[in-house]
Amino acid sequence: MTTAEQVIAAPSGPLLSHRTVVRLGRCFFALLLLAGWQWGADSFGSVFFAPPLSVLQRLWEMTVSGEVFFDIWATLYVSAIGFVIAVALGLLLPFVLRLSPRLTEAVQPYIFWSQGVPKYALAPWLILWFGIGDVPKLVIVVAQTFYVIFYNVSAGIRAVDQRLISTARVMGASERVIAKEVIWKSLQPFFYAGMKIAAPHAVGATIVGEFLVSTQGVGHYIEHARELSDTVGVFAGIVVATVLVLVINALVEKMEKVSLAWRPVAKDMMTN
Amino acid sequence: MSTSPLLEVRNLAKRFASRQGREPAPWVIRDLSFSVRDGEFLTIIGPSGSGKSTLLNMIAQIDTATGGEILFGGDTIVVSDPKALKPGLDRRIGYVTQDDNLLPWRTTMDNVLFPLEVQGRLDDKTRAHAETLIKAVGLSGYEKYYPHELSGGMRKRTSLIRTLVYDPPVILMDEPFAAVDAQTRVQLQEDLLRLWEMGRKTIIFVTHDIAEAIALGDRTLVLTKQPTRIKAEHAIPFKRPRNVKDIFGLEGFAQVYEKIRAEIQ
Amino acid sequence: MKRYRVLADRILVCIVCLALWQVASWILGTYWVSTPWATISRFFISLWDGELIRHAGYTIEEAALGGVIGAVPAIILPFALRRFPTIVQIIDPFMIGGYGLPKLALAPLFILWFGIGIESKIAVVVSIVFFIEYYATLSGVRALDARLVQMAQLCGANERQVARHVVWPCAVPNIFAGLRISLPIAIAVAVVTELISSNRGLGYLVQMGAMNFDITEVFAAILGATVLVLAVGYAVDGTEAMLLRWRPSSDPLQQATSTT
Repeated sequence: MTTAEQVIAAPSGPLLSHRTVVRLGRCFFALLLLAGWQWGADSFGSVFFAPPLSVLQRLWEMTVSGEVFFDIWATLYVSAIGFVIAVALGLLLPFVLRLSPRLTEAVQPYIFWSQGVPKYALAPWLILWFGIGDVPKLVIVVAQTFYVIFYNVSAGIRAVDQRLISTARVMGASERVIAKEVIWKSLQPFFYAGMKIAAPHAVGATIVGEFLVSTQGVGHYIEHARELSDTVGVFAGIVVATVLVLVINALVEKMEKVSLAWRPVAKDMMTN
Repeated sequence: MSTSPLLEVRNLAKRFASRQGREPAPWVIRDLSFSVRDGEFLTIIGPSGSGKSTLLNMIAQIDTATGGEILFGGDTIVVSDPKALKPGLDRRIGYVTQDDNLLPWRTTMDNVLFPLEVQGRLDDKTRAHAETLIKAVGLSGYEKYYPHELSGGMRKRTSLIRTLVYDPPVILMDEPFAAVDAQTRVQLQEDLLRLWEMGRKTIIFVTHDIAEAIALGDRTLVLTKQPTRIKAEHAIPFKRPRNVKDIFGLEGFAQVYEKIRAEIQ
Repeated sequence: MKRYRVLADRILVCIVCLALWQVASWILGTYWVSTPWATISRFFISLWDGELIRHAGYTIEEAALGGVIGAVPAIILPFALRRFPTIVQIIDPFMIGGYGLPKLALAPLFILWFGIGIESKIAVVVSIVFFIEYYATLSGVRALDARLVQMAQLCGANERQVARHVVWPCAVPNIFAGLRISLPIAIAVAVVTELISSNRGLGYLVQMGAMNFDITEVFAAILGATVLVLAVGYAVDGTEAMLLRWRPSSDPLQQATSTT
């Protein structure tokens, strides 16, 4: 039975473990991307590709002068307010619609169709209305973010276990207690899934909003740099924007973990 | 009956590879030997979890063996390297699995024609053959239905004739009727026997139902629990063609039945 | 009867919305808020004289080219890498990064690289469609039932036939789920990029309308873009329903998400 022994011994055979291969591969791929970037800078000129080092230098200068914090603050300020309004609306509306199935059915197609409106296209009109302040950006951020929350909360309300509600009723719970204890608790995972998608969405929308209407913010920094053909500035701005979105992402994920400690497994939910 | 066996299993052994640092996995199958003659209907019966599916998987070349060998028409085919496996051994071994595994995006007809299509053997003659088979199992009129529109029994019939349609010399069947109700089951057994009488292919039929093993087979092997070995062998003397519904009343049935039941326990 | 009641309710809601819009334009002045009637008639006039169609054509061209250039490699890649799960694992963090990146924020970069013509819009659309479609297809290829592959091999199918007859049909619902999300976005994204800088397209029309203080033009162009986004969505749905008749009829949304 020598073959049997061989087969069993085989797994310890390979020179590198699978995990090492994956790690090395990732490092290699990252280096490849960096090399591609450098190659782009060398062969197309720094007008098209800012060399990685000059971008780093610019980021350093921005940090030292404090300019970057000013822009980040401006962007986060608008994103946060827009996000809060969108969450409030997206949370409230499904609860209101829950009261009347008839109304829900009547407005459903319009909510769906309104999602098709390219919100950013409202920017030029909003500028005419409100000027180049924060309001046009806010409207855009709210309009972009609202749907994610709204659809997630609606799905959450639909997914509430009806048996839990009847059990609570049997035990004599009031409608308010049911809404708070049963419905709210059960839709929390959906709500957080929505928030998780919506938060980086809001920041992204603010940045694009700043391309279209603004005098400050990370988006304005990028667009301004482009207008000046300052490639290094465009790259540096994009790096800042990316880091900003990724940090927000990580924060929301952390918050979700803390708040959903009662759930056995963190399940990813899909929206839309 | 020819004297030399068509398919022979010699000292077959299987144990799954253990993860590093763990105890070696126990033997699933060990020192298993038997053979099948050309045209024989062999039934194999064993308690659940006795590695019956693993045995068939190894014969069908979709799973590796840890030791021993399988001879097919004189060639040794056992393989312990997963990359060298040839599923179905170049279409010489057909396999009707426990799940029907119908392609959900193909109609009944297209599912039956699937093997012919991928083997490049689809022509008027083979198509006519497929139609005959569909008629023989009572699926006429359902050719254009998708699997999800068929009942469990119909899906089983479709998966059965999908294997029969390309005429492999040996057909393995892994409890194909386990998941259907008792009445459909008898019907399916009758269908199978009728189809088998048409061509008398070699069949290795695995089941945990004693009555089924007796009703269908020329010979029955009884397996032990893990590690699986052969505990006993019974020739089934009933004449063919058989009628599944009457099998219980035949002289000698109760005797064989009781014997096998005692052996399994 | 219930169907008619729902329909009546919906018509009522529509009338209420239009009335509110009309009232708003009376109160705020048609200079600021164009009336529904003016918007709709401008929409059709513009449609009739070909102006709207011409600009929509540019937008469609950008979205379509970007959609094809982005979606085709995104669909092929998971298939090509089906036999090399290690490579999929290696590139995964980069793909997730690309997926999470605010791609519209890259628009200025693409404009810098490709100019204000059609190329920069295509590039933005590609960068968005690619990542959505890659993950949609990947989840489809991963959801593959290994038993079906085994069955096909037993029947004598070679590697190519397995890919063609088993893996591909298995992944099609997921590919469509990706297209359902990404293609309407492609139109919207093309419009936004035109807003940032362009000399044609629906986004340009909006921008021009605003510059000339012609609010009716702005509204009509936005209406056109919305119709386009919705039409693309319905077209994908229709194609999917036609191609995937074999599926048990159930909620398509559930089908798409159950495999992720």
